[in-house]
Amino acid sequence: MSARAGHMALRGFWYLLLLFLYAPLAVVVFYSFNSINSSARFAGFSLKWYRQLFGNEAILDAMANTVVLAVGSTAIAVVIGGALGYGLYRYRLRRWGWLIWLIYLPVIMPDIIFGIAEMTFFVAINDWLGLLAPGLSTMLIAHVTFQVPFVALLVNARLLALDPQLFEACEDLYARPWQRARFFLIPVLMPAIASSLLLALTLSIDDFVISFFTAGPDSTTLPIFIWSAIKKGVTPEINAVATLLIVAVFLMAAVSLMARRPAGKNR
Amino acid sequence: MRGDSRQLLLTLLPGVGVITVFLVLPSIYLVGMAFLSTGPYGLPTGPVSLQAFRELAGFGFLGWSPGNLYTLLRSIGQTLLATILVILIAYPAAYYITTRPVPWRPVLLLAVVVPSWTNQVIRSVGWMNIFAPGTPVSDLAAALGLIAPEMGLFPSRFAVIVGLVYNFLPFMILPLYAAFERLDTAQVEAARDLYATPWAVFRHAVLPQTLPGLMAGTVLVAIPAFGMYVVTELLGGGRSLMVGNFVARQFTQAGNWPLGAAGALIMIVVTLIGLKVLRDLGRRLGGDREVVL
Amino acid sequence: MSKQTATPSSSIEINALVRRFADGHRALDGVDLDIAAGEFFTLLGPSGCGKTTLLRILAGLDTPSAGEVRIGGRAMAGVPAHRRSVNTVFQSYALFPHRNVRRNIAFGLEMQRLDTATIEKRIDSVAGLTGITTLLDRPVDQLSGGQRQRVALARAVVNEPDVLLLDEPLSALDAGLRGRLQLELRELQHRLGMTFVFVTHDQQEAMIMSDRIAVLDRGRIAQVGTPPAIYEQPATRFVAEFMGHENLLAVTGRDEQGVTTPIGHFAGAFAEGGHLLIRPEAISLGRRQAAAPGAIPAQVVGRVYRGGSTEYRIACGDHTLIARASDPAAEGFEPGAEVNATVAPAGLAVVAG
Repeated sequence: MSARAGHMALRGFWYLLLLFLYAPLAVVVFYSFNSINSSARFAGFSLKWYRQLFGNEAILDAMANTVVLAVGSTAIAVVIGGALGYGLYRYRLRRWGWLIWLIYLPVIMPDIIFGIAEMTFFVAINDWLGLLAPGLSTMLIAHVTFQVPFVALLVNARLLALDPQLFEACEDLYARPWQRARFFLIPVLMPAIASSLLLALTLSIDDFVISFFTAGPDSTTLPIFIWSAIKKGVTPEINAVATLLIVAVFLMAAVSLMARRPAGKNR
Repeated sequence: MRGDSRQLLLTLLPGVGVITVFLVLPSIYLVGMAFLSTGPYGLPTGPVSLQAFRELAGFGFLGWSPGNLYTLLRSIGQTLLATILVILIAYPAAYYITTRPVPWRPVLLLAVVVPSWTNQVIRSVGWMNIFAPGTPVSDLAAALGLIAPEMGLFPSRFAVIVGLVYNFLPFMILPLYAAFERLDTAQVEAARDLYATPWAVFRHAVLPQTLPGLMAGTVLVAIPAFGMYVVTELLGGGRSLMVGNFVARQFTQAGNWPLGAAGALIMIVVTLIGLKVLRDLGRRLGGDREVVL
Repeated sequence: MSKQTATPSSSIEINALVRRFADGHRALDGVDLDIAAGEFFTLLGPSGCGKTTLLRILAGLDTPSAGEVRIGGRAMAGVPAHRRSVNTVFQSYALFPHRNVRRNIAFGLEMQRLDTATIEKRIDSVAGLTGITTLLDRPVDQLSGGQRQRVALARAVVNEPDVLLLDEPLSALDAGLRGRLQLELRELQHRLGMTFVFVTHDQQEAMIMSDRIAVLDRGRIAQVGTPPAIYEQPATRFVAEFMGHENLLAVTGRDEQGVTTPIGHFAGAFAEGGHLLIRPEAISLGRRQAAAPGAIPAQVVGRVYRGGSTEYRIACGDHTLIARASDPAAEGFEPGAEVNATVAPAGLAVVAG
């Protein structure tokens, strides 16, 4: 086989791969505009599922829960995780190397065990102290727990890539501790903070398993709504709901792509 | 210096605290639960016993049944199959990206990653739409005689494997791409000179150099695949269940928490054994090279 | 602390300074130094001798385990780096990646909350002084090594500190640029009248630039003096070798007239010490004649032309010495030639150790 033919075959393979990656999402979006409830036959274009969706209290509640959970957990996780990434960096020369294992734990633990461990723990705490009844608060805690390591690792990686003498240069150039944070640390970490913000939001919206096990009766999110609709066999609006989530993710992908460009130009 | 130390401790404390209180403690609690008896409503209760493990091994009132053992073996088998398929697809894909101009590469990588940012449930819904009875893909499979007419490709083990591959493909492409980017092409040229077959070139020049990426990717794919819950539940339709589903059912429908906890413990142990096997395999394949794991 | 703009520079007193690390290693082991206001003072020594640790303590970036530092007569214990009127040019330059050249230079002034007009005026004047006026609006990642060095210098000098610390600022540059910047730096110091404390491991650089040099050896001061004093009268064998001297002979005997070495007796009033140093330029070679009083018979083993001077390696018995002849009228010798070596008494010194 000639190199040219080999390359053509490789290119063909790549397009097939893209088809494989995007077909399921495209199909969801496509059938969300179907005028009948079927994924086998497209009977005509219609916005009927979207109209139904915006008239459905349960879906609107789930949408609000999803947004509140994603934004709330991200806001907390970026602060806690950013501080952790910084602390790990400052402690890197001391005997705290084992901490990195603690931070990798949420990353490598299977979702299902993560979710179930938290559920049983919250139930026990609730029985014992009457605190943390399953609901948005328990979900928030669970989301923050799995977001924190990702934020910490991103911020830490950025710090490790910096010249350590920069920190001393700040002190040397009359910066008080708060000025070091305000005029050096935060601006220099901004790209890492922005990408960890996006990542944390995505992780929260993307999560189903952990949310499912830590949710309460009133804290249904969109993925949980879709799941129970499938399980109950009632599926009319789910393509439309799923499309909304897909659009949200693609918007974030676009933002991250645009955020990357100017940063790359400056450096 | 003292004040500085205290301030630093303050930066670590919230993060370490959150992970310790809300993940380490619950995990310890879950593991401990495996060694308790099952009370009314399936909740754990005293005394300490190995009842859950006995049940897990298949000993019930009706004597021994191999159901749970089959679930474990099926999980391992499906994980292996999906991982191998992912590797076979990811190698050419990662290589293709490195043949593209440098400014395009982040865009191509993003194209690979973005679908995995959508929810697992939604991705499964997508495959349900494609594989349902009466869809063009199902009709084609029926016309080719692969499935009985009117059956559809979903629910089936085939759909589960497709779902697993689809879910975890990006996690293999990313580290492999990173490895390909660092590939020393001089070694590949030398191998082309020395060996006749493309396979020998791959085995002796490409594979050893991309091994760290392959190993990292295998960990990122195999661990979550082994713990998969959503895909098997939605696309398998009750068949092709894996340990994750078994464990989850003990906490939802079946209601036997100690049994579920024991299952979770077995999951963790099998995962750790898998990591060890991978590590040894990496050492063997890589020779004296350092393999990051 | 408000900066004392009335005094343009400050003296530095260092008393019994010790820096002990957690592993017990003493980077500084009892250092005493007095640096005068407005002096160009160099800390010279091999890597690991403690010179950078000393500099960091002066900057307030490291804390001594014992001893005292006074800058401008004021004790520095407990004064953090950001309250010292001391600025540093870092070895890696440490330019802020998120700021362009102008905003890098402005950093220290902004932190001191000077008004914008003053900041701009000071930046313009320091940019002229360091020759970077055309670079002010560039991002720092588009600068060459030499340009980065100038920006780092400008960023420190713009604050008009009492003391400027320079941590091997030229070590990353190529030889030609390095030579030019050595002279520029020296001139800049003259013009500003600021106290400069300069760290280097290069003895040539130290001799070219400094008013005085302190040679450090394993956390202690081996010798302090002007460049000629250190070069011509090194106090110890370590200093002599570090300054590049190779003609060191063990002293085997001592009398009222001078000292005895394996290659002969040398007259003079010498300090106590175990080795005799002969400076290469003090050895002159002549054609081997019948008895020349005081001359040492030797054989030329090698010759290197150094541009302006010729360096001979000569064997005196079992010992090899370096002789440097810089007089173009002097007679040349081929390797293998039998010669008489005469040593000028001014080129001799006995060193400790």
